[in-house]
Amino acid sequence: MDVETDLVDFAVDRAQSRGATYAEARYEKQEPESFILKNGVLDALYVGHDRGVGVRVLVNGALGFAATNEMTKAGVRAIVDDAIKVAKASRRKTKITFAQEDSLQMNWSVPEKKKLADVSVEEKIAEIQGVDRDLTGLGYKIAARYFNLSDNRIEKYFANSEGSRIRSYSPRLRVFYFLTVMEGADVEQTSRNYGWSGGWEGVASWDLGKRVMDEARSMHRSLTEGKKSPEGKMDLVAGPQVAGIASHESCGHPTEADRVLGREAAQAGKSFIPPDGAGMRVGSEVVNVVDDPTIENAIAYYLTDDEGVKARRRYLYKEGRVTEFLQNRETAAAFHTHSNGASRAVNYNVEAIVRMANTFVEPKDHSVEELLEDVKFGVYMKSFMEWNIDDKRYNAKYAGREAYLIENGEVKHPVRNTIIELTTPAFWSAVDAVGKDLDFEAGFCGKSDPGQALDASLGGPTIRLRNVYLR
Amino acid sequence: MEDLASRIVKKAVSLGCQDAVADVVQNRSYQIRFAQNEAVISNRWRESSASVFLVHDKRVVATDIKDLSKADDAIERLVKTAKASQKNPDYAGIARGPFRYARVRPDPKVASLEDGGKYVEAAVGGALDQGAKECAGSFWKYEDEHFLATSNGVEGHDHRASLYLSIRALLSLESSGHGIACATKLSQFTPEKAGQKAGRIATLARSPKPGKAGRYTVVFDPLIFGSLTDQVGGRLSAWAVLAGLSPFGKKVGKRVGSPQLTVSDDGSADSIGRKRFDAEGVPTRKNVLVNKGVLKTYLHNTSTAKKFKTKTTGNAGLVAPDSHAIFVKPGDRSRDEIFSEVKDGLWLTNTWYTRYQSYVTGDLSTIPRDGIFHIRKGEVVEAWKDIRLTDNLLHLMKNIVALGDEPEQMMWWGEVAVPNFVPYALIEDVGITRSAE
Repeated sequence: MDVETDLVDFAVDRAQSRGATYAEARYEKQEPESFILKNGVLDALYVGHDRGVGVRVLVNGALGFAATNEMTKAGVRAIVDDAIKVAKASRRKTKITFAQEDSLQMNWSVPEKKKLADVSVEEKIAEIQGVDRDLTGLGYKIAARYFNLSDNRIEKYFANSEGSRIRSYSPRLRVFYFLTVMEGADVEQTSRNYGWSGGWEGVASWDLGKRVMDEARSMHRSLTEGKKSPEGKMDLVAGPQVAGIASHESCGHPTEADRVLGREAAQAGKSFIPPDGAGMRVGSEVVNVVDDPTIENAIAYYLTDDEGVKARRRYLYKEGRVTEFLQNRETAAAFHTHSNGASRAVNYNVEAIVRMANTFVEPKDHSVEELLEDVKFGVYMKSFMEWNIDDKRYNAKYAGREAYLIENGEVKHPVRNTIIELTTPAFWSAVDAVGKDLDFEAGFCGKSDPGQALDASLGGPTIRLRNVYLR
Repeated sequence: MEDLASRIVKKAVSLGCQDAVADVVQNRSYQIRFAQNEAVISNRWRESSASVFLVHDKRVVATDIKDLSKADDAIERLVKTAKASQKNPDYAGIARGPFRYARVRPDPKVASLEDGGKYVEAAVGGALDQGAKECAGSFWKYEDEHFLATSNGVEGHDHRASLYLSIRALLSLESSGHGIACATKLSQFTPEKAGQKAGRIATLARSPKPGKAGRYTVVFDPLIFGSLTDQVGGRLSAWAVLAGLSPFGKKVGKRVGSPQLTVSDDGSADSIGRKRFDAEGVPTRKNVLVNKGVLKTYLHNTSTAKKFKTKTTGNAGLVAPDSHAIFVKPGDRSRDEIFSEVKDGLWLTNTWYTRYQSYVTGDLSTIPRDGIFHIRKGEVVEAWKDIRLTDNLLHLMKNIVALGDEPEQMMWWGEVAVPNFVPYALIEDVGITRSAE
């Protein structure tokens, strides 16, 4: 038996012997590597070696959590005692309970065709420098070029007092880029984020060079040919990036059960959907929004969550109605249901809470051409730059980055800074057709205190909205 | 722990590194999260790690070592990685020590604090007394101890401990208020006052009506003004300027704010972000960033300072410079005087989700949350909801017409990343938009 297994099992046993009615311990080892290429210069290379144990206990209906990176019995004993002590000091009037779930014994890992550990630093740098070189070769005035390539290898061992024992291995890869293109004093900026769960072969799947060149060309075209975006009610054809962010922000977040119950009220906020909101109409009948951790190679892929519950696909909105909340064991007990495996933590040293994984608009059967062809007048917004949404997830804004005027089904000149500022029901109720060109981007989803910026992917096909107000 | 930082540096130098920095940190923080008026989880940490920055032949690498018993192995691997990396021609070294640091020790009553439950109860009680029904938030005892060593003769020790409480009080989903309490001394910690403020705003925000788009004169409560000044501090990092992530590029010596606005960064002053030294070991100090509306300097480490032909401001992070704590010079108006100057305008108390359409121009939007009030002749006439502040960071700073005389220390989840000492602010011609139904 290895050291971490021994320590995790010891933590669970000790917590029970100290009075915990439920105990779990999670070991994580993370080996991140990342670098920043800023304006062609390798800024700094970061290599991490992170590992430790977190323990969560339920004592007298109160939760305590403690974490350490001292991988000794004394270190783990100390945090078990800490967790018990702080839980006992909670003085809760209402008791926290967990939904009953099956215990699991599992060992799963994400396959790597080319292991991340076998890829040299030189190869990683060369991959991004090649893209950066091509970018500068376009001849545009690119005032700032920023690339961040990062990978992480995450090993976990989870055990709880109900007999679950789960090992997992997730290699992950991500690229983020941020470009500033200028024409005279006029400026366009963009940021994009692509992720992968698996080995180095993920880089090829991104087709990064083409994406970056296309983006820079579209930015230059916006600067040189772009016109003011029309204002008023019109049709909107929104590309996968826009559908993806909208699915994450106004479908995924408001269906997080902990948010619905108020546990995140002081930070990420609450939800416009009330606890009894299942069945509530939010969108048109063509709108299905899914959160699915089991999509192979998506950056938020997993088979068991950080409470040891088996992951599964969840329909958040189906045919435009709220269908299912994202649940962990604590929220599921409050809703008298079962966890749907949505509990995740960013590392060993923070509690697992309700999180989205890979959230997307479920594709249907229209081609992009079909979506465009019967739009008499409107905007085709392929991507966005600025966005935000209020903390009840009702008022959202997406400001266009790459967008074009549509007239009589034809895509015309670029339009600058198209603003979608709509309520959640106004956005999703206006959708009358959904495309088949499903695409994903990666994101960091922020929540909790201490903040947990967690891998997530956001996706969708191109969607068409009728008669919405744009400016 | 005292020796470990020096040992790591010596190891790196023995392997051929020209520059090396090791910051060995012990984290002993403690937190209570609460919701629905009671604790939902209590967290405690016992962690030790070493943040290491090495330069080998202008190749810059960094790491965090968690297994301190194998620090030598980690350094050997890191140096090997550095050799496979590439030179950074912009790298210009680290500060040369030794330095003398101000004598600062944490309040023993804060450092020894074991149970924060009564502070949560005080905050929640304060909010409920004002009429709130539901409270959520976090109590923190931050405690960490740093042992720093560099290859340029720096050795430093800094034991930091502080208290923090953030509370949101709600009457309903759309009627809420937020309060903050920050202190480095137990005797100055006022969670009940934070709860009362949150509860008072929530009660005043009862039955809000949909807001109206337009341009308004706006009273900014310290929490939301802190969100804006935190943006100023963050965007003044020279690194952000070089990366295209700042509207302050090429604006040193130029007007970026109203003559009322003077902004400093000061890691040495008493705040919950106080530090004796930056990541290179340079003693923290007060740097005036904006003086009477004119930009004086960016925030620098040794490398960015050389690129901008100036000196470090003592704001080095492991890789990029950043703000420690932002101080806005208070004005001469009382809170009541600021309100009385508004004939027809708004009072905003908090915001979140600040995002830019262009960092270079400063075009942004942010979403006010908690109490939003329409005021006439200095009096609240009704509570609003569902609006967005859509404007430009420089335009907002230039349109400050009055500042309050009592700065408060603000720091908040996601929006106010470092302590910001900010008073009430009155800003004219602020753009407000709202969603179409």
